[in-house]
Amino acid sequence: MSRAQRTTGEREEGTRFEIARLIVLALLASAALLSLSSVVLRPLAAAGAAAAARPGAIRGRVELRRPPTPADRRPTVTELGTPAGRDVPDLLRSIVYLESAPRGAFETSDGGHAVMDQRNESFVPHVLAITTGTTVDFPNSDRFYHNVFSLSKIKTFDLGRYAAGHSKSIRFDRAGIVRVFCDIHSHMNAYILVFSHPFFALTEGDGRYRIDNVPPGTYGIIAWNEGTPSETRSVTVPDGGTAEIDFTIR
Amino acid sequence: MKVWRSAAAGLAWLFLACAAPPAHAQTLPSDPIEFGAGHVTVGGDVSATFSCATPIELSCGGDVGFFNYTDYAHNALRLFRVDVSAAVKAGPHFTVLSEVRSENISTVQPYALYLRVRPWSSKDFDIQVGRVPPTFGAFLRHSYANDNPLIGYPLAYQYLTTLRPDALPASAEELLKKKSTGWLVRYSVGDPTAQAGVPLVTAFRWDTGVQAHGTVGIVSATAAITTGTVSNPLFKEDNGGRQLATRVEVRPVMGLVVGTSFAHGAFVSQSAARDAVGAEANEHSYAQTAWGGDVEYSHGYYLLRAETIVSAWRLPAAVAPPPRQVSIDDPLAAFSTSFEGRYKVLPRLYVAARFDRLMFSDLADATGISQPWDAPVRRIEVGTGYSLQRNLILKLSYQYNTRDGGVIPTKKAKFGAAQLVYWF
Repeated sequence: MSRAQRTTGEREEGTRFEIARLIVLALLASAALLSLSSVVLRPLAAAGAAAAARPGAIRGRVELRRPPTPADRRPTVTELGTPAGRDVPDLLRSIVYLESAPRGAFETSDGGHAVMDQRNESFVPHVLAITTGTTVDFPNSDRFYHNVFSLSKIKTFDLGRYAAGHSKSIRFDRAGIVRVFCDIHSHMNAYILVFSHPFFALTEGDGRYRIDNVPPGTYGIIAWNEGTPSETRSVTVPDGGTAEIDFTIR
Repeated sequence: MKVWRSAAAGLAWLFLACAAPPAHAQTLPSDPIEFGAGHVTVGGDVSATFSCATPIELSCGGDVGFFNYTDYAHNALRLFRVDVSAAVKAGPHFTVLSEVRSENISTVQPYALYLRVRPWSSKDFDIQVGRVPPTFGAFLRHSYANDNPLIGYPLAYQYLTTLRPDALPASAEELLKKKSTGWLVRYSVGDPTAQAGVPLVTAFRWDTGVQAHGTVGIVSATAAITTGTVSNPLFKEDNGGRQLATRVEVRPVMGLVVGTSFAHGAFVSQSAARDAVGAEANEHSYAQTAWGGDVEYSHGYYLLRAETIVSAWRLPAAVAPPPRQVSIDDPLAAFSTSFEGRYKVLPRLYVAARFDRLMFSDLADATGISQPWDAPVRRIEVGTGYSLQRNLILKLSYQYNTRDGGVIPTKKAKFGAAQLVYWF
């Protein structure tokens, strides 16, 4: 092979090497772009989509066909006189809640604190709705003992007898319905509804309710009053809008 | 045997009625029944109690020592009891309260029936007229099965002494011969039939009369004038006498209740007194006088109670006791002390214990030898209660009784007892 032929061969080989290097660089750049798109572009796209799906609300009214009446004391035949007066609990408040919550709504939180007072031989409020992880304080505002307890399956507890001005607390970690009683005053009772999501509301005195910040979608929704739930209804929350749904219980 | 079967059948019935699985806990109704636009409220207590003498034999021995009898036919540890109480409200000032009771599915008896009047709505003052709740003592306020942490009763409220209001011993010797036979005793003066004696304070009958009750600050006071006495409440007067009973309760700090009670009333029936001492008998002076002191303290998961009762009965001294026998000139006294405690171990579970002692004053016979006029008794009961539901409680207890002397050969008796209680 002549020197000229050898030089030409070396040039061709160098050109092929350059082409291969460019191809490798192009592949690497593509891979980098793909990675970048998965890290940056997809969330951006998702953020754009989320911005497009704005949370809505559900509102309406719960009508109680036969409003419940508070149970009276048991006849106090052995008492030497008329028992002290007591406050009558408000049984007209209902709870409206989503049966199934949007994905991402079940993130655990510490839940904070809620209060169920014991005042004039009544639990106030009579119905308390909380999320899991919430600690409920039970102060005694009467001049005599109370003894809060529950034998409910999801939370069994007994706080013992404690005096006025003192408070004891219980944390609720499981979702469900907890019936609360006083061991000394058999007519005292209350409900605590523990939810694993934040999509619930307590009705006003006139039965109206509003659940805010509900992601758009279709959900099952239930109204509940004094242990009686309504049938599950379907509600579609529009993007950034408000769905209306009324209930009749009993 | 009939009683035995009734209690066992009642216990079985309650078990079956309440045999809901745990998932359905709190399904039995617990609210009282209301009707008449809320003017009428009806509540109830049902308890089925069964016991066996221990060690348990094949036949499940009964109370052959008669430690738990409340009269000839009723054993407090073998009882199926249904109480139904009602309150009828007629405005803010008037309420009629009543209770009917059936024991061992026998006849239904009125236990309480009275009118409660609150003259001033703003003042804590009431007048009650009729068959009224007992003024005397503390236990009667929590004698219902759902308030009584154990199954048995304190001796002072249940154990039958050998005294009767309608039949009398003619001499000290005759009374001393009857020691420990209070469940069925017969005397030579008065009613000749064998009947049950009386406890110090009965938990099973209420008296008839007028009662006033008021509270000012930490002090509550009650006074009553009734026809019978604390050991022998009556619906119809049998001796023309009246009983005055008073009770004062003080609540100096939360959880502490200190009470004292006093009662004095004609005890012996007119016919028995006249049989004993003739037509000149002054029935009013043959009286029962009782004093009681009680303390209750509770905090957190425990509850402690103590009660002492002293009772004295003055009987007519026979004009002519039998030869070589002496009459009963001095009052016959009895002393009882009871300590009770309850501790809640778990929300559904508590443990409880009661120690009881009942003693009697000495009585001398013609030889000059003194001895208690009835056989002293001691009782220890320990037990536990488990809440199947809030208003459905299963209790188990072990009771140990001892008696010093007496005619009945059984001086010691041990019982294992079970009780199922439902209330609404």
